[in-house]
Amino acid sequence: MITELTQVVVMASDGVPAWILAAGPAGGAATYWALYRYYRNTDKSHAYERDTIIAAQPVQGHQEKVDHISRTRDSDIDGDNSSKHRQRVQRLT
Amino acid sequence: MFDGPPLSLEEELAAARAEPEPGPSIDMVNESLADGVNRCPKCGSTDVRLRASTGQLICLFCRHEWAESRVEEEFGLGVGIDELEGTVIAGGADEISSDQDVITMTCTGCGADVVVDTAHAMNARCHWCRHTLNVNQRTPNGAVPDAVLPFRLTHAEAVEKIREFASKRRLFAHPRFKKEFVPENVLGVYLPYLVIDARAEASYVGRGEVQTRRWTEKHGDSSTTYYAADVYAVDRQVAFTVDDLTVEGAADRANFDGSTTNNIVNTVLPFDTKNAVKWNSSYLVGFTSEKRDLDVEELKPVLEDQLLSIGRSQVEGSLAQFDRGVRWEAEKVDVGGSRWVSMYLPVWLYSYYQENTKMLHYIAVNARTGETMGSVPVSQWRLLAAAFTVGTFLEGIAGWILVVSA
Repeated sequence: MITELTQVVVMASDGVPAWILAAGPAGGAATYWALYRYYRNTDKSHAYERDTIIAAQPVQGHQEKVDHISRTRDSDIDGDNSSKHRQRVQRLT
Repeated sequence: MFDGPPLSLEEELAAARAEPEPGPSIDMVNESLADGVNRCPKCGSTDVRLRASTGQLICLFCRHEWAESRVEEEFGLGVGIDELEGTVIAGGADEISSDQDVITMTCTGCGADVVVDTAHAMNARCHWCRHTLNVNQRTPNGAVPDAVLPFRLTHAEAVEKIREFASKRRLFAHPRFKKEFVPENVLGVYLPYLVIDARAEASYVGRGEVQTRRWTEKHGDSSTTYYAADVYAVDRQVAFTVDDLTVEGAADRANFDGSTTNNIVNTVLPFDTKNAVKWNSSYLVGFTSEKRDLDVEELKPVLEDQLLSIGRSQVEGSLAQFDRGVRWEAEKVDVGGSRWVSMYLPVWLYSYYQENTKMLHYIAVNARTGETMGSVPVSQWRLLAAAFTVGTFLEGIAGWILVVSA
């Protein structure tokens, strides 16, 4: 059976890509985590950034062009943390 | 560095002997109440407790109802946040100077000595004359807060919320949890929190990228998409005030690593802390309480961490031009001023100890807003069976697609 399957994979290589066979394990793992999180809620916490009364002054700041990337396959910046508010970075004193 | 002419010996000695300057503080003691017997203002009975449906204290003898005043107006807690300087600490959030939890009160009704363990309760009934005795004076162990937010949800309403939460999570729940599920066992607990007003300025530096070009190159049969981008050095600053930021005042509840389910209790925040009233331990009759054991100094890093997160969420809106995203690399927060008030906040807590994993699971209900969150122990084999079934089904479809397209 494995040889048959291998043949199928080899034959399929120019049509549907072979990595489609990863759908089973990936779907299984995703199901496990989705259900686990729904029951255990390990990822939940108080959203104080949103649920606190905050009065902010207008945001100040500036930007300066320092470099140019002429050719990359990455569609976005490395380590984008602009919406990961709780991920701490180096602390200036 | 030159800092003026040297002081004379007398001046040096006087400076060395001087008491350290006391920090600014707000005294929020409820002057009208004492430790021990506190009587109904109308009939003199001590059978006083909270009536959750009205949020008022009720005398069980004459049905007279009354309430303590809101601390928000009485102590001006909602105003002047943008002028706060230094660390202002209300009396109930003062440094904990004793771990003596058990206090003995003399019953003014009959003279008997009655013991109260203030780590878990703030009232006791005199076993001789049945008067209710209250702890109202400040204790050095952190058990008496500045203010209390009374329960609003009744026991029956909390049971209903917990039942509803758990009934949505039955199929994969641990069989033993389902068998032993008795939501009527939910307990009303006043948990200790520090409610903070603060004025801060946060600044961030990092890199942002703006896409300038996007193109696709063909390599034989496949093709690859490439991008070109400008890189910017970005900095942002924002000054802001926060009103009633709420953090856990008990070390046991403030630990959020994966070994506990404390995040569940944290999730039911926020409370309508503006409605908190002056301390009167009659509000606690019939409920348990947990004393505060963290000081302001220990919680300052927590405040700074939360202020940094809040600042980051505030500046996010100014980053729209960086369509490839922004990576913050360094950050800084200056807390210009903060005001700390300790409060007891009401939570209905259903707990379940899972023996095989030694994990204490909570289902918590915010007893003001009704927000419910919980952790339900799972049956691993059922979860794995579900995952395996879905996986097999998807694999079947994938195999079928491959065979058909071959």
